[in-house]
Amino acid sequence: MAILLAALPIVAQEPVRNPHTTPADIEQGAKTFRSHCAACHGFAGTGGRGPNLTTGVFYRGGSDADLLRNISDGIEGTEMPALFYSPDRVWQVIAYLRSIGSGAGKVAGNAAQGQKVYASNGCAKCHRVSAEGGRLGPDLTSIGRYRAAGHLKQAIVAPNEDVRQRYWFVSARKGSQALAGFLMNEDTYTVQFMDMNENLRSESKSDLKEYKVEKVSKMPAFKLKDSDLDDLVAYLASLKGGSR
Amino acid sequence: MKRLACAVFLAGHLLAQVTYDRLLNAEKEPGSWLTYSGRYEGWRYSPLAQVTRENVKNLKVKWVHQMPTTHLVETTPLVADGVMYVTEPPSNVAALDAATGKLFWRYRRQYPPKINVCCGQVNRGVALLGDRVFVGTVDAHLVSLDAKTGDVLWDVEVANYQHGYSVTVAPLAVKDMIIVGIAGGEYGIRGFLDAYDAKTGKRRWRFWTIPGPGEKGNETWSGDSWKTGGGSTWVTGSYDVAQNLIIWGVGNPSPDWNGDKRLGDNLYSDSAIAVDADTGQLKWHFQFVPHDLHDWDAVQVPILVDDEFQGTRRKLVYWAHRNAFYYALDRTSGKFLLGKPFATQTWAKGLDPNGRPIRLPNIDPSPEGTYVWPGVQGATNWYSPSYNPLTRNFYVSAWENRSVYRKGDQEYTPGNRFIGSVPLIELPDEPGHGAIRALNPRTGERLWEYKLHTKPWAGVLTTAGKLLFGGSDEGYYFALDAETGKELWRLHTGGVIRSNGISYTANGKQIMAVAAGSAIFTFELP
Repeated sequence: MAILLAALPIVAQEPVRNPHTTPADIEQGAKTFRSHCAACHGFAGTGGRGPNLTTGVFYRGGSDADLLRNISDGIEGTEMPALFYSPDRVWQVIAYLRSIGSGAGKVAGNAAQGQKVYASNGCAKCHRVSAEGGRLGPDLTSIGRYRAAGHLKQAIVAPNEDVRQRYWFVSARKGSQALAGFLMNEDTYTVQFMDMNENLRSESKSDLKEYKVEKVSKMPAFKLKDSDLDDLVAYLASLKGGSR
Repeated sequence: MKRLACAVFLAGHLLAQVTYDRLLNAEKEPGSWLTYSGRYEGWRYSPLAQVTRENVKNLKVKWVHQMPTTHLVETTPLVADGVMYVTEPPSNVAALDAATGKLFWRYRRQYPPKINVCCGQVNRGVALLGDRVFVGTVDAHLVSLDAKTGDVLWDVEVANYQHGYSVTVAPLAVKDMIIVGIAGGEYGIRGFLDAYDAKTGKRRWRFWTIPGPGEKGNETWSGDSWKTGGGSTWVTGSYDVAQNLIIWGVGNPSPDWNGDKRLGDNLYSDSAIAVDADTGQLKWHFQFVPHDLHDWDAVQVPILVDDEFQGTRRKLVYWAHRNAFYYALDRTSGKFLLGKPFATQTWAKGLDPNGRPIRLPNIDPSPEGTYVWPGVQGATNWYSPSYNPLTRNFYVSAWENRSVYRKGDQEYTPGNRFIGSVPLIELPDEPGHGAIRALNPRTGERLWEYKLHTKPWAGVLTTAGKLLFGGSDEGYYFALDAETGKELWRLHTGGVIRSNGISYTANGKQIMAVAAGSAIFTFELP
């Protein structure tokens, strides 16, 4: 295999260019975007559960070819699904994205100040940034890439609005022991979860009593001063590290 | 002389011809599994009873055959004369020693670079007839192989794969013909059911599931929409020997989620069709979903049973449909006899006396999205149901979930998807669940259910041991008491099970077999 690869000639490839960029294409792309992408990326593309697409920055590659691939096939390991459309229609969506890609995506608040808010509120007990902190909640190392500021704000003040299945709360009794933690995997007969001490547990449901999986967030709803909240959001939005 | 005749007979048997006579009498050789559903009536029932409700807990893995493939395995193995024939996706075939799993031969097909298959390069199995094996291919060919060597005897084009046609269905051998259906309902194909001469590969007849101009039913398609109307036939049907009728399910109309340009009932999409086996002429049809907007194909195996029904002995078809209703039809006419939901549905108030759904308002796909139960993948799908003549019950893998149905515009271009939107099939963080359900097929009443945490893509097999075998996406293969639904055995295979089980014998012992992950697993008692 290695020999084969080495033998392949190196060919300078023409960059792939979007062939569908007329105003009519942009309009059609907007329609497709609103019915299929807006649920996560927001009606105007400014983000939500999914990243803001108006900043001109695309972390998985911003070339036409990158966008065609990521929209058509989805992005493995993320919540981005594939859009099962023919390339023409995906190109129209890309034309629309280019037409809205001018907003700077500025966030109010001071990130350096927000880092202090993060520390003083004990966020690191459950969250991890660059391999520092707890593992019970989502790792935030690159959260600024994926979540728009508005969504981050909502997640802080009303964490129960949108709870990922991975963080649903598991509780049960096993003999005299009370078990609790965050769902990792579940099938008809077994459950795998991270307990409150970050131990990985795998249990047979037949050994458990009062077994429950609740679609709730165990993160407290923080009541912060407006300025602290803005600063904290600014800090989180600035977290764009890691390779995830 | 007598001795010589005997020797000739023996030699003949050793040649291992799967004659039409053997297919007709499949229930008399329970050690084999000769057609997709085990017998023409579509029951997926094994008359073997060595594995019982008492001893099934002792089932152990016998052998495993790992396939060199990265595609999903949906194959139903066939077993004849000690050889197991399985397809390895995309459309390769392996012949194995049914007692050990050891390979005799493998057919590896050369594929063109771009294959148009909507939902994975899959294959559901082969057909056997005479000394030949028949396989359909993702590039829409039908291939005849020598059962002893895997050598290609003929290879014919069923349709143009570049226009979105493919063959994923297991063909069905009837008389001296191979019946084969087509896939491509997401590519705006014009569907059909074909019969080919098993010896030569010459096509005997074609029944267009979307009638052309001048044919009855064409008036149920506005404008030229019939040309790209879909109506695929991608799940193996059944054969009513006495009436000489092939009964087969027809898939969704195209485009799936936007019906504005195909006004009308869109016959024979989402229908059961019964065609004469010799001519391909339509004898009757029953349409489950007129003018479907939810992709609820009639891609289920028809179960043919003769039984007492409301005081009269009748020829019946039992059918649990993707649209969440269970149906009983009269097999001589297609007349609707009974219909009742077997899973949660929010789209129909009920069925009228002719079985036509009485739709509720606001269930059509919309640009902003419409929430409807069942979801796009249906309350059941292509995976096989089972009928057990001892319990007289009908068994089905069922789904409980909903989808968001969206509507968009789409122009037809050959070889590209023609679906009219992309629904949100799975709602984030609302995974739904599954179940194995037993119904009284004469009333539609639910007798028991075995709940699964996730939605199963695996069919069910029942046996004369009054056992039901089923699988899950979680990777478990399990046995239930077919009378009560009580779990009696399970084994974790470590791979998703998206296939249907079978049973056969090797060296006189009953074996259970199923595809799981990229492998065939077999089980037997110690």
